[in-house]
Amino acid sequence: MNQWLDDRLHISRLNDKFLRKAFPVHHSFFLGEITLFSLIVLIITGILLALAYEPSNSMVVNSFDPGTAAKPNMLPAAYHSALKINAMPFGDMLRRTHHWMANIMIAAAVLHLMRVYFTGAFKKPREINWWIGMLLLIFAGLTAVTGYILPYDNYAYSTVKVIYAITASVPWVGDWLAQAAFAGRFPGDGIIPRIYGYHIMLLPGILLAMTAAHMLIMIKQKHTQPQYAKRLAYKKIVGVPLMTQQTPIMLMLALLFTGLVMLFAAFIPVHPVEFFGPPSSSGVSNIKPDWYLLWVFGALAIIPGFEVEILGGTISAEFIGAMVFPGIVIGLMFAVPMLDRSKDNQYYAENPTNSPVRLAAGVAFMAMMLVMSVAGYKPELIESRLLTTNNANAILWILTFVIPALSYFGTIGIVRGIRALREADERETLAHAHADD
Amino acid sequence: MTRYKKQDPELTRRKFINVAMGTGAAVGTLSLVSALGIAKPVFRLTADKAPPLKGDVLVHADAAKYGQPVKPSELSELAVIAYPMGRNKDGSTVIRAGEPNNQVGVYKFEPSALQAPTKIDATDNGIVVYSNTCTHAGCFPKSVNNQFIVNCPCHSGQYEPRQGCKVIGGPPPKPMPQLGVKVEGEQLVLTSSFLTSPYGYKNDEEWEAYLKQAEELLA
Repeated sequence: MNQWLDDRLHISRLNDKFLRKAFPVHHSFFLGEITLFSLIVLIITGILLALAYEPSNSMVVNSFDPGTAAKPNMLPAAYHSALKINAMPFGDMLRRTHHWMANIMIAAAVLHLMRVYFTGAFKKPREINWWIGMLLLIFAGLTAVTGYILPYDNYAYSTVKVIYAITASVPWVGDWLAQAAFAGRFPGDGIIPRIYGYHIMLLPGILLAMTAAHMLIMIKQKHTQPQYAKRLAYKKIVGVPLMTQQTPIMLMLALLFTGLVMLFAAFIPVHPVEFFGPPSSSGVSNIKPDWYLLWVFGALAIIPGFEVEILGGTISAEFIGAMVFPGIVIGLMFAVPMLDRSKDNQYYAENPTNSPVRLAAGVAFMAMMLVMSVAGYKPELIESRLLTTNNANAILWILTFVIPALSYFGTIGIVRGIRALREADERETLAHAHADD
Repeated sequence: MTRYKKQDPELTRRKFINVAMGTGAAVGTLSLVSALGIAKPVFRLTADKAPPLKGDVLVHADAAKYGQPVKPSELSELAVIAYPMGRNKDGSTVIRAGEPNNQVGVYKFEPSALQAPTKIDATDNGIVVYSNTCTHAGCFPKSVNNQFIVNCPCHSGQYEPRQGCKVIGGPPPKPMPQLGVKVEGEQLVLTSSFLTSPYGYKNDEEWEAYLKQAEELLA
């Protein structure tokens, strides 16, 4: 059988090329794998959900509470089907698993990105994979946002309204763009079918294709080697092969991880559609995006309102806060590999403390994201009397710059301290070594 | 010897493939762009998507009382959320809820509490009507904790309904526009549409042009 397959498919070549790929032995290298497992589980749960979901925002009679013949109780079909999914055996859990997995996929992707950044693994020759990874992060975010809208509850309705407004805020072409993206003026008759198409076809297709590219390039270029590999065998690939050593580890990790998320889904509710109710004329109080978009939300909350007309196009605070500013942030992240001018290929993962500026810049960046995310809680901060309506913006703006600056210099100080201690240690060992002679 | 270099008359394979690929890409992009044109559907104005018009009656937007006329006795300093209800071409009534930005908030203050820039002649005995769509990102704001300030939950915009719904906090670029209203028996009737440009329109001229167009289309 093996021989028969091998004669036709040259499995042995596949084995040599891919299945013997060496994986570095270090736990931080599992973060990318966890992201991949999440994507797989998301696709499986997504397919199951799609089988029971009705992608339409036309009104249907609520089969759980039909009302009277004279005054039927009407709901959007998408919301109604979300209620039906909740009523299926394990239906609610399936929705929650999908939702939790999406959150965890982005979290794992962000941690994976941090690992790559802080150990310098983005350096030559891996710049292309850094850029593909950034695109993956952006498209994962877009997929998550479109997924939010599908239950078409009041929360989703408010969310998509804001997203429509952000799209429409692009100067000159905004109106056209928003209407083309969301099937007409908000809320068009075809908005849910359109977003359904994005969420189950277009975006997952892009994600899968780019994930494949990400991994093929990784196999071609090999992992950066952890530091111990330098001592073990200099400039040699050190690690365990995919078949048959890494595969059981991966399987075990995937099962453990999925089990953990299922446990989450079983006991921790997330996005309760019944609580938000169908789209209504009253807004949702305390509406917040997911944690990974909270920084944009915070930026929108503290940016003062303005409108400038230039050549017939309107540049608004919304456009600056939700398009230009995140564009700059993402652009900076894209530019990271270009800031490094090393000519040689990077073989080994670096100790983060060896490049204090890079480390400090990364920490300051994360601090800024954190402060802006906190700014997203402005109404709560005002309500709890920590800030007042009048000083909230000023204080949050100052913190946005002061805290990153403090963390930058703080990190550099700590790294210098560590270095001084390490050097003192070395001097001492050296001195004692001479004394022993 | 000739001054002219002899040129190879044959096209190289590489050149042929490059030209073919370039042409293919150009044709493909063009056809994709034309196919993208279908992404934006045509907008047809129907009575339920029309803006609030003069003579419309205000009806409750709240699910419990949906479609019932708002009575002056139900009003207080906290907004009652309403939709305008007009008439179809065949004369039947139609609630203009197809356009969510038609939502309005109806307030009743002490007549003396209303200050400029509120347009007092568009109010009736302290009853004042404003758009209920935040001018920043189009969310539906509401009063919370029995404060008479209108708060938008999305990006914490704040408005003061006693002073023309002017912006007193947060990112909204302009006040939520006022509508003219008068009491007729037990009903609230609009004496005008939004007095200044509502959410979704760049400026007053654009809004007035659209309003005129809508009135003509529905007449």
